[in-house]
Amino acid sequence: MSFARWVAIYGPTYLTGLGWTAVTAFGAAVGAIVWGCVLLLLRLAGPRWPARAVDAYVQLFRNTPVLLPIYIVYFGFPLVGLPWPAVICGGLALVLQNGAYVSEILRGGLKAIDRVQFDAARSLGLTPWNTFRKILLPQVLVYSIPALGSQVVLLLKDTSLLSAITVTELTMQAKLLTEQTGAAYEAFIVVALLYLLLVSTTEVMFRAAHRAVRWR
Amino acid sequence: MPPGSFGLLVQGAAVSLALAAAAIAGGTLFAIALTPLAFSRFAVVRALYGLYVYVVRGTPLLVLALLVFYALPALDLRTGPYIAGTLVLVLYVGALFAEVFRGGVLSIPRPQWESARSLGLPPLAKFRKVIAPLVTRYTLPPYVNVCVMTVKASSVLSIISVWELTLAAREIIERTLAVFTILGVAAALYFVMCFGVDRIGRWLERRLMLRGFVGERA
Amino acid sequence: MIRIRGLQKSFGTLPVLRGVDLDIADGEVVALIGRSGCGKTTLLRCINFLEEYDGGEIRLDGEPLWYRAAADGRRHRVSEAEARRMRQTMGIVFQQYNLFPHMTALENVVLGPRFSQHVPAAEADALGRRLLTRVGLEAKISAYPAQLSGGQQQRVAIARALAMRPKILLFDEITSALDPELVGEVEDVIRALLSDRIMMVLVTHALGFAREIAHRIAYLSEGSIVELGTPAEILERPKDPTLKEFLRRMR
Repeated sequence: MSFARWVAIYGPTYLTGLGWTAVTAFGAAVGAIVWGCVLLLLRLAGPRWPARAVDAYVQLFRNTPVLLPIYIVYFGFPLVGLPWPAVICGGLALVLQNGAYVSEILRGGLKAIDRVQFDAARSLGLTPWNTFRKILLPQVLVYSIPALGSQVVLLLKDTSLLSAITVTELTMQAKLLTEQTGAAYEAFIVVALLYLLLVSTTEVMFRAAHRAVRWR
Repeated sequence: MPPGSFGLLVQGAAVSLALAAAAIAGGTLFAIALTPLAFSRFAVVRALYGLYVYVVRGTPLLVLALLVFYALPALDLRTGPYIAGTLVLVLYVGALFAEVFRGGVLSIPRPQWESARSLGLPPLAKFRKVIAPLVTRYTLPPYVNVCVMTVKASSVLSIISVWELTLAAREIIERTLAVFTILGVAAALYFVMCFGVDRIGRWLERRLMLRGFVGERA
Repeated sequence: MIRIRGLQKSFGTLPVLRGVDLDIADGEVVALIGRSGCGKTTLLRCINFLEEYDGGEIRLDGEPLWYRAAADGRRHRVSEAEARRMRQTMGIVFQQYNLFPHMTALENVVLGPRFSQHVPAAEADALGRRLLTRVGLEAKISAYPAQLSGGQQQRVAIARALAMRPKILLFDEITSALDPELVGEVEDVIRALLSDRIMMVLVTHALGFAREIAHRIAYLSEGSIVELGTPAEILERPKDPTLKEFLRRMR
């Protein structure tokens, strides 16, 4: 049957996959940003063991493919008494992996803040917590928005790997449809288009966010 | 650790490395052909370049791999998973390299172009003696990053039945349930490979800089 | 008043302050001059403990600052909370990048009072507006630093320092990084502050301005105050040969 007809018939079934992909990506993105902030805080504890541990953590996740944490959590957690649903396992793995990258991005944002600002904050008698909350974090986040946007896009694409652990997101949806209908081309081209749509939407959102909070 | 599995994992790592090497070689050649299109005089050509990069970067590698995997038999091309897998990687990584080269060319400071032009060199000499060294100088770090990404990307091919380190690990786990040991070793092997590529890159960077190259660090 | 006795500081093995003695009376303005590397900025930063020092003591109105003598005779750093409390009695303005770029001028000024001194928002706000008006920036209350000239930014920084109601103001070459035509507006603000009779210490290269507003000028060389006197004494009748050389170069 023609492409258009196929899409008309099977299009709506993609909605499940689309929903799972969007929700997982969103949840993992939020989690990764929060986790990245935590890692950054740990690193700021200076040249003691937390900073070293974070460095090792980041190096580990930068030099290993994301499928490994996904498999470790999915296959390993049931063995230690945590038989969580596949989507949670996958989401956790994505958070752990992307959190490492987020903390590196935030660190770059940190370097963009002039040292004098910290002197000024100390001179005003601000507590470390207030300095972090009112001076450091707002600036770091704004400087980091473009790179964070790129990272969220990468995370979005990585959700496709969750199809390997039976999560019914978009890619899995395409595989199922291919098996059902034998129309491999149509199935995957639609999926590719949907991903492009998600990616472009995310990029547009981040660019708008950056424009909105910039102060120059 | 289950007997024989370490050997299997190392073999898998060798396959991953070979796949990555082939993809890097093919991808670089592909990118060298692709990047000039980004600077073409014709808007249509530039648009085609932009479209290609947009599609490859906006689609997950797995989806691209599945597309190629299912497309090839339909085109009556009975190639094994390795060829299909390498082809996908070349198409994917080639786009990334092309963007790296494009970015590198754009980041060369204007005065350096202008000096090259003022010397009145013929095109081939200009390319060999001025453009290529400059582009290499400014693109080496991101190029090395993409190489590391290629090693990691090879693990995605495991899902389309390309036997390499990740698939080797998964097979052993499904047989023996020694999840943490096996995946730990697999992670260590990937780490060694990626870190190794990164170190080689830095060594190259240092060597190029020591060649009396007086360029500023971009 | 401030009493500094025997202040010593080294960066690693490099001695920067070799026993500085200085008294500053209430309402007095002291200028610190000297060649780069003589220790004047380090001295300033020790006063509000942005730099820790190795020996000597600093007292404010009789109270020893920054270190306490412990029972075992050695000195101990005061706690961070204590240090913060002590710092609130001092205001400092740096050479550049003073202001927080993500806050408006008003937000910059009220930050200290609201979060360190726990002044209620409405009161802090009114204080901030008064001070910004005082430095001539009433129209720029809601402006961001990127929208202000260098001179305007420095004036906001002065207002921010004043908002803490400090006993002493520290100025670290605050006009050195400004375009020449913007220096005057900043100097005008400092002139207007003289009537407040707050203690001030200025590290400066602007000898003309120092002569005009300082009660005393201290010339530092290699980590100690080599000559100290009124502007007339220091600038017109210098005794120390290195000071003479320094003044000759600055003309």
